[in-house]
Amino acid sequence: MKGKYLAGILLVIVAAAAAFALGLSGMAQSTPPERLVIATTTSTVDTGLLDYLKPHFDNEFHANMTWLYLGTGQALAVASRGDADILLVHDRVREDAFVKASNGTHRVTVMYNDFVLIGPQDDPAGVKGMSNVTEAFKRIAAKGEEGKAVFVSRGDNSGTNALELRIWSSAKITAKGKPWYIEAGQGMGPTVRISNEKQGYTVSDRGTWNKLKSEMGDNLKMQILVEGDKALLNPYGIILLNTEKYPNINSKLAEKFFLFMISDEGQKLIADFKVGEDQLFFPLFGKPDTIGLPSEKSEVQYWAQQLTSNQMKPPSWVQQIIVVAIPSIFTGDKN
Amino acid sequence: MIYLGGWEEIGFGLFRALQLIFSGDPEVLRITLISLRVSGTATLLGAAIGIPVGASIALRRFPARTLLISVINTLMGLPPVVVGLFLYLMLSNFGPMGFLRLLYTPEAMVLAQLVLVAPITAGVTLSAVSNVDARLKEMAVSLGADPLQEVRIILREARLGLLTAVIVGFGSAISEVGAIMMVGGNLLGYTRALTTAIVLLTNQGAFTEAIALGIILLGLAFAINILLTYLQLRTKAGLFAAETERHHPVT
Repeated sequence: MKGKYLAGILLVIVAAAAAFALGLSGMAQSTPPERLVIATTTSTVDTGLLDYLKPHFDNEFHANMTWLYLGTGQALAVASRGDADILLVHDRVREDAFVKASNGTHRVTVMYNDFVLIGPQDDPAGVKGMSNVTEAFKRIAAKGEEGKAVFVSRGDNSGTNALELRIWSSAKITAKGKPWYIEAGQGMGPTVRISNEKQGYTVSDRGTWNKLKSEMGDNLKMQILVEGDKALLNPYGIILLNTEKYPNINSKLAEKFFLFMISDEGQKLIADFKVGEDQLFFPLFGKPDTIGLPSEKSEVQYWAQQLTSNQMKPPSWVQQIIVVAIPSIFTGDKN
Repeated sequence: MIYLGGWEEIGFGLFRALQLIFSGDPEVLRITLISLRVSGTATLLGAAIGIPVGASIALRRFPARTLLISVINTLMGLPPVVVGLFLYLMLSNFGPMGFLRLLYTPEAMVLAQLVLVAPITAGVTLSAVSNVDARLKEMAVSLGADPLQEVRIILREARLGLLTAVIVGFGSAISEVGAIMMVGGNLLGYTRALTTAIVLLTNQGAFTEAIALGIILLGLAFAINILLTYLQLRTKAGLFAAETERHHPVT
């Protein structure tokens, strides 16, 4: 009798396993809205921007918007293997390389915010209020050599990390490997927290900084020291992947998300997103030249047309561009 | 916020956990169910594979046996991130198994945890079955048990250990984060489990919610262990009953 008991246990285990597996596949099939997988940077997630956009996008396109929480480096790597449907990242140099390698077909700047140099409240390097972040880096390095300051780097190949490394290289300082230079190897939120614990300096995007400040309150014993330098601008690009290379991705929904983000509605939503009192992202589709970035005229014109043919409204400032563009097409016809 | 020497986050976390549990927050419920479903499936499949494998190795004598035992012992300590990375590369759209379209699905998470759990279940089973008194086997044979009966008798004797194997397997599955993060992708409402949600919330500085989910995770593991331990004790009671029977057969 007892032997059967054991055989029974085994049978139940196998049966339950099968039932669970069936249940799982059943669960996967019975979700009606299509899933969109965005490979994105930690900052768009940590600030809550995507959580805020999700219900709008999901309702409008009967979609299920999801995202992979990665640094820009990893996001680009994952997308280049066809493991995501669309990219929302922030490292212009690598974004352009990605498109050039024909991994992506279209890229536009969709929004921006800026980076800030943050550090301990007592500011041992005395960089508070400096307008030139490169000079501030030099001072931190000098104090670091004296053992009086610490710099915490993302050290994770992310967009923020790339920007920080560019500042070090324009300051002509090799920070890597120095005892005062800590590489966290983590996302923006954790890196700020590490530098809070170490009372070090770090570069953060303003969005993540504001969000952490509102979440952590007085436990975050850091302050903004340098801001407003043009080297600290942080534009976000949205990239449509090459469907010839990645036939399996959900390209239809990806294009819808692209259109949604650059549409009048999307751009307004981005502008309206606030944490506490602060606006975290500024819409930039069609007007990157207003903050001194190269204009993206041909892409903007193409996408303005795409928006119109998808019964979506381009942002007001882009509509003006079209009005300007139409006469030139007419003159082209006459010639 | 009141300052309580750093304890307030843990305290509020506990409070928030109770709040989340009793308010029946749909997102928390979904995350908890995903965790249970994935780890439960992985544990059961792991038991279905690990128990027969572990028992066979314990009961049979064959040439590469010692080597196989070493392999299983090594696999018991497989680092989850390595399993995650390997499976990610396998299941990636550009990977050799990309055509299965399993990446970022709960099934991929089950697979990852199965790889981690099966050796653990096998290893614990192996030692449990090996520890069964050798005299029992001799006695069974001398009393004329055929090989199948013999195996049954030994497994019955080792059933407490087998249950432990399942408990240990489940414990390592439900607490695992590295592998399911990589192959599951932590997608909201689909592959976001308790552990991966805790990582995300911690990164965002939302410590109260993170610790709340941590408390739910602990509570869950505790509840399931209580259930299994209860089962274990009942089995033990059954064992004593059987022994009593054996000692007083036809009096």
